[in-house]
Amino acid sequence: MTPRTASDVRLLDAPDESRTTVTLLASLTGRLAALQVVTGSVAVGSMVAGFCALGRAASGTAEGARLRSAIAASRVGTNGAAIWKALRLDLWATSVPASPVLDQLRNDAGLLLADDVAESLSLLPVPSQPAGAFGGEDPWGERGAEFLDCLVGMWAYGHEVSALVEGLAAPTLPPPNAFHSPSAPPAPPSGVVLR
Amino acid sequence: MRITNDTPAGSSPEPFADLLRLQTDFQARLADETFRYLRRLHGTLAPGSPGTVVRPREGLLVEGAGPPGARLTIGVDIENVQRVHCVVSPQLTSLVGRSGTTWFPACEPPQQTLLVAPGRSERIAIVIPVPDALPPDEYRGAMLLQGFRDGAIAVRVVVGHAVPPATEPAPKPRPAKRPGSRRKAR
Repeated sequence: MTPRTASDVRLLDAPDESRTTVTLLASLTGRLAALQVVTGSVAVGSMVAGFCALGRAASGTAEGARLRSAIAASRVGTNGAAIWKALRLDLWATSVPASPVLDQLRNDAGLLLADDVAESLSLLPVPSQPAGAFGGEDPWGERGAEFLDCLVGMWAYGHEVSALVEGLAAPTLPPPNAFHSPSAPPAPPSGVVLR
Repeated sequence: MRITNDTPAGSSPEPFADLLRLQTDFQARLADETFRYLRRLHGTLAPGSPGTVVRPREGLLVEGAGPPGARLTIGVDIENVQRVHCVVSPQLTSLVGRSGTTWFPACEPPQQTLLVAPGRSERIAIVIPVPDALPPDEYRGAMLLQGFRDGAIAVRVVVGHAVPPATEPAPKPRPAKRPGSRRKAR
């Protein structure tokens, strides 16, 4: 038996958490249930804050930093920041907990690809675990949510959605530039009635 | 306390203004911290979204080398030991040379996203075109797997005329042991 080669990088469950079909389903139902007890402002604000948190993280990459500095140097950056501040969107986004939008998207995709969804659905209702310490992590520090964070975050999220949907469709996607030519012409109607 | 209209050298012209400023600063900081505490408390009670942690092999350093104008390929094997699919979006940070040159590499593909099935291992390869005018140097940075909570992979790119090109890693998906499938055969 040959020893297994160690991978460079391993993707693991976070401590005290587990990504299984049941926990992903519980997370989704928990989010849907939470919508019944929070205001629209908190629900949408939490998503906006989530985009901002993602944007701040994405700004640390070469591509994200390039995009961010380009927007910041243009009229878009100035106008966006002015609107963001005047309409107090900074206060709104900073005052609610940031929703882990990318985790949620990936978890929902994982659920779509799981092979035991039917069994897990039969276990409903499954109680959702609270986010715990990580959910309470504050991404803002001294600087609150900014306009550029939000814009870069939506870019990163949008790309992820697009790539993910393409990835989900890929195994059964027909080849591009395909065409269908009509096969043999349909046989003319025949029968005693048409004679 | 004696308050005069004369301002001694090295002291504030208005001691009460200073006192007021300190008090206002304190109130503002208190409000800010309270706000932050409430936000964290609120976040703790929100429905959980299980996440992923990146664990690089000990001492892992992803390296590439080549002259200016070359196209380097760097890559890593990523294994998903979780029980559901994982989405991986590798991104490079800016690379900083010893001389202080900061390089924002334009990777190809610019935004790579990979679906890794549970128990599978996939190879991620990123092509980095080295600009013709980039000063020869040793550049260091990191590869981030966007959206994952912890961990980054150290990257080192040596740009020089006399440096041998990096080996081209070929994509080689290979099955790995599925987590939780360690059962004794009876």
